[in-house]
Amino acid sequence: MSATFAALGEFGDAISFIFSERENQRGSPVGGSHNLALLWEHLKLSAAAMGLAMAVALPLGLILGHTGRFSFLTISTSNVGRAVPSVALIALFVAFFPRSPEFLNVTLALALLAIPPILTNAYVGVRQTDRDAVDAARGMGLSGAQVIRQVELPLALPLIFGGIKTSTVNVIATATIAPLVGVVTLGDPLVAFSVYGREGQIGASIIVAVLAIAAEIGLSAVQRAVTPEGIKLERGPEGRARSRFGLTKRRIQTAP
Amino acid sequence: MPPTHTAQSEGPSGYREAVELEFAEATKRYPGADSPAVDGLSLTVPAGEICVFVGPSGCGKTTAMRMVNRMIDISSGDILVGGRSVKDRDVDELRREIGYVIQQIGLFPHRTIADNIATVPRLLGWDRPKINARVEELLDLIGLPQDMSKRYPAQLSGGQRQRVGVARALAADPPLMLMDEPFGAIDPINRERLQNEFLRLQAEIRKTIVFVTHDIDEAIKMGDRIAILQVGGKLAQYATPSEILLHPANEFVEDFVGADRALKRLALLRVSDIELGPSNGGPSIRDTALVRDALSDLLQHGALHGNVVDSGGRTVGGISMEALARLAKA
Amino acid sequence: MILAQLQIRGEDDAGDSCVADNGFCPSWIADNWERYQDPFLEHLALTLISVAIGFVIAFGLALVAHRRRWLIPPITQITGILYTLPSVALFFLLLPLTGRGKTTAVIALVAYTLLIIFRNVITGLEGVPAEARDAGRGMGLTPRQLLWRVELPLALPAIMAGLRIAVTTTVGLTALVFLAGAGGLGEEIFNDMQFRSNVVVAGGLCVLLAVVLDLLVLAAQKLITPWTRKVAT
Repeated sequence: MSATFAALGEFGDAISFIFSERENQRGSPVGGSHNLALLWEHLKLSAAAMGLAMAVALPLGLILGHTGRFSFLTISTSNVGRAVPSVALIALFVAFFPRSPEFLNVTLALALLAIPPILTNAYVGVRQTDRDAVDAARGMGLSGAQVIRQVELPLALPLIFGGIKTSTVNVIATATIAPLVGVVTLGDPLVAFSVYGREGQIGASIIVAVLAIAAEIGLSAVQRAVTPEGIKLERGPEGRARSRFGLTKRRIQTAP
Repeated sequence: MPPTHTAQSEGPSGYREAVELEFAEATKRYPGADSPAVDGLSLTVPAGEICVFVGPSGCGKTTAMRMVNRMIDISSGDILVGGRSVKDRDVDELRREIGYVIQQIGLFPHRTIADNIATVPRLLGWDRPKINARVEELLDLIGLPQDMSKRYPAQLSGGQRQRVGVARALAADPPLMLMDEPFGAIDPINRERLQNEFLRLQAEIRKTIVFVTHDIDEAIKMGDRIAILQVGGKLAQYATPSEILLHPANEFVEDFVGADRALKRLALLRVSDIELGPSNGGPSIRDTALVRDALSDLLQHGALHGNVVDSGGRTVGGISMEALARLAKA
Repeated sequence: MILAQLQIRGEDDAGDSCVADNGFCPSWIADNWERYQDPFLEHLALTLISVAIGFVIAFGLALVAHRRRWLIPPITQITGILYTLPSVALFFLLLPLTGRGKTTAVIALVAYTLLIIFRNVITGLEGVPAEARDAGRGMGLTPRQLLWRVELPLALPAIMAGLRIAVTTTVGLTALVFLAGAGGLGEEIFNDMQFRSNVVVAGGLCVLLAVVLDLLVLAAQKLITPWTRKVAT
């Protein structure tokens, strides 16, 4: 019983850390508005990594999906990608490029982590567009680029945004360990216990958790918004509910 | 930018002249395959006629059709559309001039019916009022209400979707249409209706049409001419339906058209098409009935004679079992 | 850096020019191989325990939801939130409740696997052809018999696919549990993130573990679903 109260007490301290400034053991100010600087760095890092990952993975996924080549390679990329631990990837960049700026190293590592889901989803999204619609499009004289732009891309958008969502949430989560190599994100209070104290650890964890969930909810809304009306109708009421709860977005993972 | 030399229809009501289609030793060989998929196919489809490619699966009928708009490349030989080799044409431009309908229809699920129909006119750079007018006209032509234009394919029945598929293929008024089992996925009752509708439509628009089916009855019904293909992509016979039924070129064709070819031949004619004798009484038969149905009527009544009447119920002549037998044997 | 980092490049390595140059040093790796043994086993144990617990919970939830379909959306949403919560954040959010250590680590890892497995079981059960279900019912199978003899066997490929994803993802996430004081190979990586030999060996062991476990699950799947094997032509 008393443990529960203690627990509530610690969460209370953590929430106070989020909103109000205080001095740490070394006399420098932390908490409150100082969290904003950490948040800013966190967002900057995540955005840089996602921008880079999308710039690489989206065109590649669309083109590979359109041509139907390298399917094994594309699907394997995402399977291997899951197995590589984020901390190892970041450490690899730091160990092998000790002279390049930490921010760049971590950005590259996070981008590498973010690429597989985006690539695979774009690839699968294009591959699973109604092949008859694509055949009809080609038969009516749409050029390759027109087929991608007018048929494959709009039909793949829900899955593409599903991939972007997965990667964004993952990158926001992984940016938390960036302070291990000196990039001061919202993860700093988590790894620097002696500077921020326990309320800092828990407080920053809450902020990171809220950030990740907000990204998930926000991007889910975007995903729904980009789903063509005709596709929603095709799925029917049950299909719409299922896509809302993410039951359809990973159809590929169920393939044996 | 729309290429200015692309032919366009003269406006919603004028139909573009159909073209002649010629296969000249057209052959498709797939690498690694023992025999060609289409083997030296030569035939000419006169402008404005429906030519049906029919045969068992694996006979290369779809391959032959898809070589026309170069969805499949020709290995050797040539195909001429309106006298021009398809091989010399820019492939996208060629396809925009050829209507294309497939069994699965392939409507774009994310686009409205109007947008689906407008696909090729947009590619050709028509202006908006002209496109809108054309969409309206086509919806009328296929017998769909105008308010369907804002719906999505998912909101239509199978038969309606198939009609939209035909309208989409007709949108830029192509002189030539390719139709791959267009009614294959429709239930028998609606298929019959769509077939009749399409024949009425064709009587008006007079396109040159290549129509692929595996169903000999559909071939006989739809075709001005029928090309029967046998496995290995060889042309077994190319003739009018009645010629094929009367004089099958070989055993394969005889087998393929079926043991009831005499009956099938009777189905090609209407009572008013044949010479009637004097009426000797018997059950009444409408002059517009198919001769096969007239025969069925007589059999049903156990009668040797029938009394042919016109729409007003007036007797216009008589039909006898004997006459029918002569007709079937002819 | 506030968390204590061990200096794993020891005094006796001082003469080793490879180590001094921070190269990739096979001799150092051979000498220090044992250093990775215990963390490796710890990593393996944490992964297996977490996936096992996660599977039991998610599978149970899926069976319940399969009968009461209205439960699918809420369960998906709740497990979805757990899936979205960054595990590092969860380690510290659990701090007041379970403290630092392996319990916290396992709870966080289990939380992450639930959605993956639940979703795949449900998808697998939904993918059972209606005619198979119908035939089963027509032959007089009770709902329970139908579930265990027809539906679950046919859903196995999807379920096993979910298990594979859960296993590989958990191996990757277990590399972070050192932040909750639960050891694992991640701690070895962290101990000297600048030392190439160390990063490559510890990171490589993680990937190797993931690949081996993935292949094992795949082999098990092939073994128990012989009907999905392609007939050799």
